[in-house]
Amino acid sequence: MPQREFDITIGKDGSVELHVKGYKGKGCLEAMKMFQQIVGELKEEQRTNEYYEPEEQVRFNIDQRH
Amino acid sequence: MTPVVIAAWPAFSAAVVAAATSLGYQVAASGAADLAKSTAAAQTGSKRIQLEIENSEVVTGQLGREQKISVTKDGVTITFSRDARGQASLCVTGEGHSNEELRALGEELSQAVVQQYVYQKLMGEMQARGFNVVEEETSADRSIRLKVRHWEN
Repeated sequence: MPQREFDITIGKDGSVELHVKGYKGKGCLEAMKMFQQIVGELKEEQRTNEYYEPEEQVRFNIDQRH
Repeated sequence: MTPVVIAAWPAFSAAVVAAATSLGYQVAASGAADLAKSTAAAQTGSKRIQLEIENSEVVTGQLGREQKISVTKDGVTITFSRDARGQASLCVTGEGHSNEELRALGEELSQAVVQQYVYQKLMGEMQARGFNVVEEETSADRSIRLKVRHWEN
């Protein structure tokens, strides 16, 4: 059973930065969609070097919508 | 990035209380009678600044009913309300402060309210999905950092 880890930073203005760890392949994109449903619109995406490794790490910025 | 708040009044007012408390404010009034008394007192000889919370919508099942909450600190009173269209706004009043100071105080609290709303929504949704918050800290710049873990089947 794989462990997923999320580093979430809520800025003082309410903007959200999400750092996803523990996903392989496109699994992290599914996680991103889930957080979009919770938080809001995706504004920016940065793929770190780890994204291209077997165990990927991707950074997302999400805008509050709901 | 500009956060958007779409909230029912109870969720919005809960965020106001949490944000105000974290910045040292006290809830002065939330009922109509108390609020009228508080607003009248705050307006006597005071400067007054009106601000809007951009991209906000406070939804309610009681259309037409005015809803407000007022907080105070060091002679400054900030009243949050929603207009008929649902836009959230705040009115800052206080003696002995410049308009710029009142505006800065209002914007500081306004941002904190949006941050608290996002925090409460995230925490509620993540707990409902079985996520575990294993670390939480507030940085010197007032950003909130969370480390969350989830085991998947």
